[in-house]
Amino acid sequence: MKKVITGDHAVAIGAKLCRVEVVPAFPITPQTLIIEHIADFVSDGDLDAKFLTMESEHSVMSAAAGASAAGARVFTATSSQGLAFMHEMLYATAPLRLPVVMANASRTLGGPPGIWCEYNDSMGARDSGWLQLYVEDNQEALDMVIQSFRIAEDKRVLLPVMPCLDGFVLTHTVEPVDIPEQEEVDSFLLPYEPDIILDPKRPAMIGTFMPSEYIMELRRQTAGAFESAKEVIRQINSEFAQKFGRDYGGLIDTYMMEDAHTALITMGTVTSTSREVVDELRRKGEKVGLIKLRFFRPFPSNELKKAVSHISALGVFDRSISYHGGGPVYNEVRSALYGMTMPVINHLAGIGGRDVTKEQIMKMFELTQKAGKGEKVNDISWHNTRGETN
Amino acid sequence: MITIKELSDDNLFTAGHTACPGCGVAMSIRNAIRVLGKDTVVYVPASCAVVFGTTFPYGAWKVPFFHTAFENTGACLSGMQAAFEKKGKKVTVVGFAGDGGTYDIGLQSMSGAAERNDDVLYICLDNEAYMNTGIQRSGGTPFGAWTTTTPVGNVVQGNRRFKKNLGDIVAAHEIPYYATLSIGQPLDFIRKVEKAKNMRGFRFLHMFTPCIPGWKMDPAKTVEVTKRAVQSGMWTLYEIENGDKRITYKPGKMKSVKDYLMMQGRFRHMSEEDIKKLQMWVCKKWNLHYKEKGAPDVCEILPPVEHHAVTEEHREMHGP
Amino acid sequence: MAAQTLAEAAVSEGNYAVAFPYFGAERRGAPVLAFTRIDSKKIFSKTQVYAPDCVVVLDDSLLDTIDVVAGLKPKGMAIINSREKPEDIDLGKIIDTATVNATSIALEILKAPITNTAILGAFAKATGIIKIESLEESIKRKFGEKLGAKVGERNALAAWTAYERTITGKSRGVKKLEARKQWLPTHQEIPVGGCLIEGKTDAGLIGPGSFIENKVSGWATYRPLRDKAKCTMCLLCWFYCPEGTIVRISDRGDLMTNYDYCKGCGVCANECPVDAIKMVRARI
Ligand SMILES: Cc1ncc(C[n+]2csc(CCOP(=O)(O)OP(=O)(O)O)c2C)c(N)n1
Ligand code: SF4
Ligand code: SF4
Ligand code: SF4
Ligand SMILES: [Mg+2]
Repeated sequence: MKKVITGDHAVAIGAKLCRVEVVPAFPITPQTLIIEHIADFVSDGDLDAKFLTMESEHSVMSAAAGASAAGARVFTATSSQGLAFMHEMLYATAPLRLPVVMANASRTLGGPPGIWCEYNDSMGARDSGWLQLYVEDNQEALDMVIQSFRIAEDKRVLLPVMPCLDGFVLTHTVEPVDIPEQEEVDSFLLPYEPDIILDPKRPAMIGTFMPSEYIMELRRQTAGAFESAKEVIRQINSEFAQKFGRDYGGLIDTYMMEDAHTALITMGTVTSTSREVVDELRRKGEKVGLIKLRFFRPFPSNELKKAVSHISALGVFDRSISYHGGGPVYNEVRSALYGMTMPVINHLAGIGGRDVTKEQIMKMFELTQKAGKGEKVNDISWHNTRGETN
Repeated sequence: MITIKELSDDNLFTAGHTACPGCGVAMSIRNAIRVLGKDTVVYVPASCAVVFGTTFPYGAWKVPFFHTAFENTGACLSGMQAAFEKKGKKVTVVGFAGDGGTYDIGLQSMSGAAERNDDVLYICLDNEAYMNTGIQRSGGTPFGAWTTTTPVGNVVQGNRRFKKNLGDIVAAHEIPYYATLSIGQPLDFIRKVEKAKNMRGFRFLHMFTPCIPGWKMDPAKTVEVTKRAVQSGMWTLYEIENGDKRITYKPGKMKSVKDYLMMQGRFRHMSEEDIKKLQMWVCKKWNLHYKEKGAPDVCEILPPVEHHAVTEEHREMHGP
Repeated sequence: MAAQTLAEAAVSEGNYAVAFPYFGAERRGAPVLAFTRIDSKKIFSKTQVYAPDCVVVLDDSLLDTIDVVAGLKPKGMAIINSREKPEDIDLGKIIDTATVNATSIALEILKAPITNTAILGAFAKATGIIKIESLEESIKRKFGEKLGAKVGERNALAAWTAYERTITGKSRGVKKLEARKQWLPTHQEIPVGGCLIEGKTDAGLIGPGSFIENKVSGWATYRPLRDKAKCTMCLLCWFYCPEGTIVRISDRGDLMTNYDYCKGCGVCANECPVDAIKMVRARI
């Protein structure tokens, strides 16, 4: 069934289709619509879940941890300051291997406050042990909530997953979304059946104080789960494609890359706009292509290496700054491509929710192409930023 | 009502844990869990109890144990309870939080769970300071007490604020049950734990739990010091059930706070003036709790009976 | 405290020294570990000490369970708080050993079984690494600052007394102490997320309730003796014991104290309404 809905609504419907059992919630723009929709589902009897109105995001993630450890399928959503506020608890859920799924409506974090899209909220949590993925439209938002639960609860992974959707650009934008049938989702995502939970019939200790003799092995184990997650993500992507007819490509997606000379790596909704830019440039005969970084954790180093093996220059889009000079994605990409000789340059844009226009994306391609021809361009460009000349 | 004799022999919190000798927290946990029984799931926030009760791969708990952080007992309990309810499982969901984890950093989370009236049992193990980090002041630290962050200096001596009135804060949430407990009154202790276990909604048990190094006292006196706290009015035993407050143990004639203070190195530096100040605070509390309607205020204190010197051992270990 | 005081004394003699504790999780009274490194030049190493020149043991009951000289250098020395002579102490190796009854010195002078200053006197005597005079100074300074001059002086006296009573010799090397087994899973073996259910490993129980294999009797200086004739079976001691040491036996008709878990707190003796329990020294 097709419905014209916001990204937040799509996420909420995704959660409902997953038959989530416990939803601790706290409002924050631009995520609030998600929990409001879920509250409606529960109040109307469309979703049989415990909806908990917590008094803070820290408590949201604490309740999520408790409910997950007690064996429930747990969903919640947050954004920006909320994600920062629960930061400590992100580090509790992941190493304890509690497969919570939480949507993050990407929003600028910190002072001065704003409410529009930026990735500095989720980027700050990139080493908390959560899987992170970024979607480009409302359909993908819904579909990835469903896939997230599959990935999170897979015994080879057992890690929390954070699907991120661009604040306002998706959360508050309506577009047509194909809503899968409940039965189809039920056969794709079986009930959550963890091995060890808090159960008086078989007592367990979860989250014990842990001396240095053990923590290192535990971290290594979690790192291993991130490695396994890559294969799981690919598998689940294929399975999903077969069942629902939508193939997202797995860890990355590519567009017009086969014969491309120049490519741009993008995330989130900028990918969507960039598709049209690539089309336009292609019409002009320029061999440009697009790589959509879908998963930022685990980081798809091998996929990227393969995707760019034949091109002469690579641009990397970043929607936040990491104060080493460029953005965090740029950093990761360069280290993934270590040893390759092509120029890799960074394009910072859209920070604080500034609109990322086609002209800006054109410019990104233009600068990257120049670098590919050996012309001198800045390693890091701030697009559409007053006082900057690129 | 269960008596001591009828208590279970199950050691659901086993021997071999690593609390200090004489620990009042360990003593209270052991007896609480004896009453609560095995259909219990426990959350313990960061505190001494987390460390002495579990150290990977070992643990003293024989009921399910969960820990994640310091300030989130209320929220974790709510989440656990929601999951059990959804799954149709009947278990007693219990949190054992310290005073720091309740009066201070965990107040908001506790308040959330209380206000939602979530069906959980919240136990505060009040040893009147942050003990796990080495004895720092909390909102539950009494007036005059030495802690490492309220040191006895040349200019300022000990904690300058009176103990936060947590009971009224919790009760203001209009929850089904709030009670204060002391291990020195075993029957009252057992009865309240049993009662809380059998009620529904948010229940709060506030346990007075001496700490040996934190209070700088002789480990043998753990129980005795709680008795003196009650006799002097420093700790009062009552319960508030659906808004009705009831004194559950009324001591005889009020004893001087000195009786209580002198047992503990943390108060030894207190000036006569400060002791008087504390005594006035206690008198006010005493009248509030114990005075019959219309009767005149009392503050007639029996002279201190016996002065317990702090032993050499404690002075050496923990300073004067 | 002893490790730090030793470092201070070494520095006062113009050396460089570092001292640090091993941060264990156990509370007061549990066996603890501390390290001191002394050198004539600046010490850069920030790791724990694995092959010491000297091992100082403050509680000889540890000798039964821990191979205290496991990492000791071949020419190293052991200094042990014990009433025995070196020749009567079996360390599993014949090595230079010094003994002193620091506990009785501490009880005599400090009126408490706190042996860390006394044992330093033995260290000065046996190793000669520091002079007893420098030790005296740093003890006075360190304890004096915190606890008053009188306490400082008494602790210095304890060190001097131990210095004078230290006996040096060679240990015996008969017994074979097996290293205490510890479960050390690989990252593939460690349960997912460190979540444990009841389990058994080569090294013993793990998971819920497994602390039961942790014998804590070594913490106790005193232990309770119950006079069965006086006991009225009121069960207060059973109720109050924070350890779960006292258990009901004979169909709940009698009590038994399992000394493996008794930390000697004395609560049971203090609370017994008929004074049926006396605390006695656990060892001399
Ligand atoms: C967010 C956070 N801040 C600080 C700490 C350090 N910390 C751990 S336990 C503790 C004190 C606990 O005090 P209390 O709750 O009174 O329990 P007690 O140890 O006294 O029983 C502190 C400050 C922490 N774990 N987490
Ligand atoms: S420090 Fe206090 S509360 Fe902590 S284990 Fe020791 S006696 Fe108990
Ligand atoms: S001395 Fe303490 S630990 Fe030992 S039996 Fe008595 S109460 Fe228990
Ligand atoms: S407290 Fe004394 S009288 Fe009561 S059971 Fe124990 S030993 Fe017997
Ligand atoms: Mg405390």
